[in-house]
Amino acid sequence: MPYRHPTMTPPARSPELPDAHPAPRRKRLALSPVVVFLAPALVIYFGFIVYPVLRTFYNSVHVIQPRNVVQFVGLANFTALLETDPVFWKAVGNTAVFAVIGTIADVVGGLLLALCLYVKVPLARVWRVVWFTPVLMSYVVVGIIWVWIYDYDWGVVNLVLRWLGLGALEHSWLGDPQTALWAVLVTHLWKWLGFNMIICLAALYALPTEVLGAAELDNCGWIAKLVYVIVPMLRPTLVNLLVLSFIGKMMIFDLVWIMTGGGPLWSTETVSTYVYKRAFDWNTFDLGYPSAVAVLWSVIILVFVLLMTRLLSQRDKLEF
Amino acid sequence: MLKAVVNRCSLVGALMVALVAVAPLLAHAGEVLTVWSHEADEPAKVAFRELAARNLEKQHPGLQVKITWYEKGGLYTALKTALPAGQGPDVFYLEPDQTEYITNGYIIPLDTLVDWSKIYDWARKVWTIDGKTWGLPQEAYTDELYYNKDLLKKLGVALPPNAQFTQAQFLDLVKKARAANITPIAQGVGDRPYPGAYVLAEALLRKLGTDDYGKLLHGQLSYDDPRVVAVFTWVKQLVDAGAYPKNFMTLKLGESHYYFYQKPGALMLPMGSWYTGRAFVPVDKGGQPQDFPLGIMQFPAMDQGACPECKTLAVGASFAINAASKQKQLAAEYLNMMSTPDMGKRWIETVYLQSAVKTDVGAFSGPYASYFQELMARQQGAKYFIGMPIDILKGQCKDTFTQVMNSAFPGGLLPVDKAVSMMNQACYKK
Amino acid sequence: MTESWLSYVRRAPLLLFVILYTIATGGPFLWVALMSVRTTPEIFANPYAIPLRLHWDKFADAWTSSNYGTYFWNSTIVVVTAVALVTVIGAMAAHCLARYRFRGRRLVRLMILSGMVLPPQLLILSLFQILLDYRLYNTLTGLIVVYVATQLAMTVYILEGFFAQIPQDLFDAARMDGYSDFEIFWRITLPIGLAALFTTIVLNFIILWNEFLYAVVLLTEDTRRTLPLGIMHFMGGHQLDVGMIATGLMIAIVPVILIYAFFSETMIKGMTAGAVR
Repeated sequence: MPYRHPTMTPPARSPELPDAHPAPRRKRLALSPVVVFLAPALVIYFGFIVYPVLRTFYNSVHVIQPRNVVQFVGLANFTALLETDPVFWKAVGNTAVFAVIGTIADVVGGLLLALCLYVKVPLARVWRVVWFTPVLMSYVVVGIIWVWIYDYDWGVVNLVLRWLGLGALEHSWLGDPQTALWAVLVTHLWKWLGFNMIICLAALYALPTEVLGAAELDNCGWIAKLVYVIVPMLRPTLVNLLVLSFIGKMMIFDLVWIMTGGGPLWSTETVSTYVYKRAFDWNTFDLGYPSAVAVLWSVIILVFVLLMTRLLSQRDKLEF
Repeated sequence: MLKAVVNRCSLVGALMVALVAVAPLLAHAGEVLTVWSHEADEPAKVAFRELAARNLEKQHPGLQVKITWYEKGGLYTALKTALPAGQGPDVFYLEPDQTEYITNGYIIPLDTLVDWSKIYDWARKVWTIDGKTWGLPQEAYTDELYYNKDLLKKLGVALPPNAQFTQAQFLDLVKKARAANITPIAQGVGDRPYPGAYVLAEALLRKLGTDDYGKLLHGQLSYDDPRVVAVFTWVKQLVDAGAYPKNFMTLKLGESHYYFYQKPGALMLPMGSWYTGRAFVPVDKGGQPQDFPLGIMQFPAMDQGACPECKTLAVGASFAINAASKQKQLAAEYLNMMSTPDMGKRWIETVYLQSAVKTDVGAFSGPYASYFQELMARQQGAKYFIGMPIDILKGQCKDTFTQVMNSAFPGGLLPVDKAVSMMNQACYKK
Repeated sequence: MTESWLSYVRRAPLLLFVILYTIATGGPFLWVALMSVRTTPEIFANPYAIPLRLHWDKFADAWTSSNYGTYFWNSTIVVVTAVALVTVIGAMAAHCLARYRFRGRRLVRLMILSGMVLPPQLLILSLFQILLDYRLYNTLTGLIVVYVATQLAMTVYILEGFFAQIPQDLFDAARMDGYSDFEIFWRITLPIGLAALFTTIVLNFIILWNEFLYAVVLLTEDTRRTLPLGIMHFMGGHQLDVGMIATGLMIAIVPVILIYAFFSETMIKGMTAGAVR
C-alpha cells in the first residue's frame, strides 16, 4: 500500500481503533496512555469551562434579586423567554438567517476563490497573500473601516454607485433596517473568505491529479467536473468548514457590536448581542435571564451541529 | 513512559515558572487608591481628575492614586464583572441611571463622608434615594438648542426676544432651511442611545409640564394621551420636511458636532451643554472654528403647552465609593478633593460645563465668556425637570425608547401610531 | 499562437474577477494607509485624494501618546504562550480521543466539543470568579489560562477529525517496532498531522491576537493591557479625529501584515503540506 501524505482530506479507509488495553507486551497500568494524554486537557477543562457552564445552568433557573439574594424560579426564565420576549425571537431570526446564508456563502465563496487560484492564474501567489490579509485583522479594525465604507455621504459604496449613475440605489446601508444585516454579513464574509480559501486550496492541492485528468478526457464541462468530481472528493474538508463557519456565525458578536450595536430597530440584533445587553447594559445585576438565553441557544447550536455532521458525513467511502 | 512523565513535568514546571514570574506583580507596593473613570477622550476632564489625584497625593506622602481610563462600554462590563466578586476599584465613575449598584449594595452612602455644603442641593437630590445619598454628582448639564446665527440671518428669520419659536414657526424654519439646501438639524444616533429623541422629548416636556412628563417617563401616563400624540405628529411633520440629515441613523455623536459647525454645516444642533467638551478644542482636533457664530435658542414652545419655560437639567458624570473598598476614608477624601470651590471654578473654566459644585458663575472670564453669558441668559426663569429620559427609563422600556423614539421614529421609519403603540406596549404600566 | 490568445480571452472574465476581488480586499487597507498620513481636515475636504503632504509625525504622536509598545509586548507574551500551550494540550487530547478506544470516550468527546458552542458573554462572569479564587485576576497568566481553556474545544475538534483519518497501518507498524505510546504520538501523529497543526496554530493565533472581551474584563491595569484594548482605547480617545484613527489603525495593522508577509510562505506551505506543486 503506497504511503500517501494526507492533508485535511483523508484517505479512503475507515480506521480501526486500537484498544486502550492492548494485548500487552509490556506491563503497565491499564489506562495510563489515555490518562496521560487527556489529563492536562481535562484538568483545564474542568477547572475553567465546566464550572462556568454549570454555574450558567444554575443561574438560568434562578433570578438574582437585589442584594444578591438568589431565588429559584424553575423554568420561569425559559417560559418568559419563549413566550413573551419579542426581541429574543427577532434575534433568533436574524442570527438564523445570518448563519445559514452566511455559512453557505462562506464555504462556496471560499471554494470558488480557491478554484480561481488553482487554475493557475498569473501571480497567484500575490493574490493569495492579499486575499488572506483581512482574516488577520481584528474586528475593531474591520468594523471601523467598513463603517466608513458604508457611510452615506463619503463612503466608497455610495460613491461608486453615484459614479456608475446608479445614484438611486444609494442607501444608508447600516441605518436602514432592510439592509443593515446584509451589510454586516458582507463585511463578515470579506473578513473570513480568505481563510476558507486557503483550506480549500490545500485540499485541492491534495487531490490526486489522475482523477482530474480522467475527467478532462471525458470532456466534462467545468461545472460538471466541479459538482460531480471535486466537491465529493472535498467533502470532509467542506463539512469541517461548514461546521466551523456555522458555529462562528451563530455566535457572532464583535462585528455586530462595533458596527451597529444591534440596531436599527433590532434588525441586526443577534442572540449574543441580546445576551450581552441583558447581562451588562440593562440596569440590573440579574444574570438569570441572560443565562437562560445562553443555555437555550447553546443547546440549539449543539443540536444543529450534531445534525449537520451526521447528515453530511455519511457516505464517506470513496474508492480511488 | 518516562519521556511522557518528563514531558508532563516540564510542562507543569513551565507553568509554575510563569506563575512565579508574575506573582510579584500581584503584590501592591505602598498605599494605592484605585479609580476607574470614563471620558478618556475629553482631555479637560482627564486633566481635572488627574489634578485632584495629584493634590491628594501631595497631602498624603507615600500615597499613589491610580486612575484607569476606560471607554464607557468597557467600564460597565469590567464593573459588572468585578463588583459581584467583591473586587473593583475604590472609586468609580457612574451615571444617575445606574441605580442597580444601589439596589445590589455595591456602593456605600456618602452622607457622612462628603462635604455636602459644597454641592448644589438639587444635584444632591438626584443621587438621594431612600433618604441616603449614594453618589457624588460632578457634572451638570442642560439640554440646549445650539444654532448658527449667520445661517439663521441668511434664511431671513429673526429669533423672537425670548429666544423661543412657536410650533408653526419652527416647522416653517425647517422647511425654509431645506429649501435653501441647508440641513436643519444635525443629529445622529450612530453611537448613542439618546440624541435622536432630543427634539421629541423636549417638546413632550414643554407640552405636558414637569408633572405629567414625569408620569409619562415613569409609565403612569399612556402614550395614547392626545397631547402626546399631538407632539409625535408634529415631530413627524418635521421629519417628513427633512429636518434630519440623510445619514441620521449612522452619524456618530462626535460627527454630528462636526457636521454642525464645519462640514457640511447645519442650522441647529440639539445637544446637552457638554457640547463644549467637543466644540471648544483646537480646530484640528475637531473643534469649532474660532469665529463660529454660535447661538443658543430655547426649544420651541408647544401650542397649548403646559410649560414653555421648562428645561431639562441633569446630572452626568458622578462618582461612588465601592462597598468593598478597604480605604473608604481615603476614597472620600478624593471625592472631596474634586469638589472644592476652586475645583468647581476650574471645571467651569476648563471643561466649559456646568458643575454640581457650588461656584460663583458671575466671576467667569476667558475666551468663551460670552458663550457662558448667553448660556446663563437662557436659564433665566427656567423651570427644571431633573433627568434625561434614559436616566429614568429602565429595562425593556429603555431599549424600546432607544430603538423607537431615539432612532426609528426620527429616522422616518415608523408612522406615529406604530411608534406610540410600541412605546405604550413597552412602557405603560396599566 | 491563436491557442494561447484564445485561452487568454476565455480567461478574461476570471482575471477581471480576480482583479476586482483583490481591489475589494486590498483597497480598504490602502485607503486607510493613505488616510493615516493626512490630517482630519484634509480628509474631510477630499476623502480619497492622494496625500499632498505626508504627515509622518502623526505616527510618532500616536505611538508616544498611546503606550503601544507595552500593549504589543503584552499581547505577544500572552498569545504566543497560549497558542503553544493549547496546541500541545489539544494535540495530546485529540490524539487520545482519535486513536484509543476506552470507556467514556464518547462522553468525553461530546463534552469537549460542546465547549465550542458556549457564549463567552456568560462564561466570563464565572471565569472571573475562578480567576479570583486562584489569585490570577489582573495577571497575564490568568488571561493565558483563560485563552487556553476557551480555544481548547475548537483545537481538539479540528485535530481529532484529522488524526482519526491517519491510516492505521502506520500505527500498527510502529507498535510492532516497539515504539511507546508517547513516541507514537511524537513521531507519527504529529509529523503527519503537521498541516492540521499549522491550521490550528494560525487560527488560534488570529483569534487570540484580536480577542477583546476577556481581556477588557480580566486586565484592569493599563500596564497589562493587550493590543486590542489599546486600539479601542486609542479610538475612544480620538473620536472626531478620523486622521488619527487611521494612524492608529495603521499601527495596529502594519505589524500583523509584516509578520504575515514574513511567514506567509511557511504558513501556507504548512497548511497545504504535501502539495504536489
